[in-house]
Amino acid sequence: MIMSLLAVAFSAAIIVILGRGDPKRRRTAKLAGEGQSVRTRRLLSALACVPGLYCALAGDAAAFMIWLGGCAVAGWFVALGFGQTGQDLA
Amino acid sequence: MIHLQKEDTKLMVAVHGWSGILLGLLLYAVVITGMVAVFAEEIGIWSAGHVETRSAFERPFDQAIRTAAARTPPKYYEGADIFEIGDHNLGAFFHRHETEPDGEFVSRGIYYQFDREGRIVKAAHGTGEEVFGPRNDDALSSFLVDTHVRLHIPNPWGLILTGILGLAMLVAAISGLLIHRHLFKDIFTLRRKANPVLVDRDRHSVAGTWSLPFAFLLAFTGSFFSFFGTIGVPIVAMAAFGGDVQALNDAVFGNAAKPDTRPVAIGNLDRVAADALRRTGGAPTFVTIENFGRADAQITSFHEPKERGLEPQTLLYSGASGAFERVKPSIGKQPSAGGTLAAIMAPIHFGNFAGVLSKAIWFGLGFAMCYVTLTGLRLWLVRRREAARSLGWLERAVTVVGFGLPFALVACSAAFLLTMPLGSAVFWTPTAFVGASLLAIFGGMALRSNAVLDTGLQTATGAILALLPVLRLVTGGPGWGEALSVGQPIIVAVDIGLVLAGGWMLWRMHAARFLRGRDVAPALQPAE
Repeated sequence: MIMSLLAVAFSAAIIVILGRGDPKRRRTAKLAGEGQSVRTRRLLSALACVPGLYCALAGDAAAFMIWLGGCAVAGWFVALGFGQTGQDLA
Repeated sequence: MIHLQKEDTKLMVAVHGWSGILLGLLLYAVVITGMVAVFAEEIGIWSAGHVETRSAFERPFDQAIRTAAARTPPKYYEGADIFEIGDHNLGAFFHRHETEPDGEFVSRGIYYQFDREGRIVKAAHGTGEEVFGPRNDDALSSFLVDTHVRLHIPNPWGLILTGILGLAMLVAAISGLLIHRHLFKDIFTLRRKANPVLVDRDRHSVAGTWSLPFAFLLAFTGSFFSFFGTIGVPIVAMAAFGGDVQALNDAVFGNAAKPDTRPVAIGNLDRVAADALRRTGGAPTFVTIENFGRADAQITSFHEPKERGLEPQTLLYSGASGAFERVKPSIGKQPSAGGTLAAIMAPIHFGNFAGVLSKAIWFGLGFAMCYVTLTGLRLWLVRRREAARSLGWLERAVTVVGFGLPFALVACSAAFLLTMPLGSAVFWTPTAFVGASLLAIFGGMALRSNAVLDTGLQTATGAILALLPVLRLVTGGPGWGEALSVGQPIIVAVDIGLVLAGGWMLWRMHAARFLRGRDVAPALQPAE
């Protein structure tokens, strides 16, 4: 269970970073700066997948499913959280 | 992403929209009750104030089963299913398999319910369909599960309907994937003050994108369960076993052994359970005995998945001696990829493979899918608002179902808590649900504004949610001290969860008005 939690926490942290630097989100929220480059985002996305890959390679099916589901829920909540800061488009 | 031709995209948008709009409200009912049913076991413990933490299979039960068997006509020794009921008490169903004149395959026998000391408190004779039903102490969790599984429609039609709804969800997920051109580009974009179409579209697509893999998994596994017994088994039985469902069950799930009808007393079940616990690390969740009291009797014990795994564990014991024979695949005699896939369907659908953590995540995924369904319906409506005012009734129906259903669920929970101590929860739980649903429908017809209906239903739901723990304590449920002292923290956790959820709903609806004198935009913005 600890491994699952750590895996979800690590990927969720990367998802937060991805959300902060998301170019389209920043554009629609009229935030300063262009956000992360495509290359940075791809690297971060790959990094976010590392814990899941580790769980799969370690043969821990339960941890992998928890990681996958946890990332889905965390990602949605992160998007909702950023949405609360105000992303307006007339 | 996948780029379709313009015409193909339009077709997919139509398939996505119409599959959702035709079955969306029913699908929402199935998904929201499924989301809650993830915690059916915990809700059962919380609502009935169960304080026993040890499995019935960890306490002596051998003598209780022998006593019941002595009262049972040998014609029902073909199978004996043993499982837990209520507050870790025991239930046993001695039965035989029969085919009714109309061709329906049934199990008929005697269902015994035992108290904590292993005394028989109730015995009911009939088919499985007749004897298994909600009990006073599990009326609430049974109601939730039955709503999710078959919408309270009699078999097989309820299961077929929920199976079709699962397929509709699958169609919506696939078509949604095909029509969304910027799946990853839009994954964090939630515009709040744009025009209503964009606001609803963002909400729908962001939640849908994040939960997409699980929309596939849950829809597929849900449809599998619905169609397995109603369509799959009869078709395979017709094709390969001349319509004999029992022969199919014996071949696929049974333990084929040379028949030996000599009467031999069953082995010690307490020792079998202790051995199974030692081998798997957990008490059985279910035990079944084939040919009870015969020399060829066999005992199968079913267990939760082992740590780090998804596949439930199944052990086989000799019935006559109680000796361990082998680890049994869920399907067939040898382990197989198909058998493993079939075995992991249940843990993947129920999210119960890693305790409360996996259940909490599955609950969150269920919440996301409710959100996707509701925002999808609203998006479909808001896109047509200018063109077709006559769809106002549908918009109202979406609000009545979208927020009336959670309201009815919390109302029936309150009714359960009030009536369980009186012994009439089996009647009042569904009755309160129907009453609250009618109230929501009446509100939908009587109130002029959709927004007022929306606010009213959410406020009532939040208020009842926050009050449920108080109601539980007032009606005699165990206090936090008692629950914690017996090692049942789930009661405390559910209390806290309900107060937080109810408080959050009320805060979201009314906080800004109280604090600053202005309205807050609800998360699911009314499409008007």
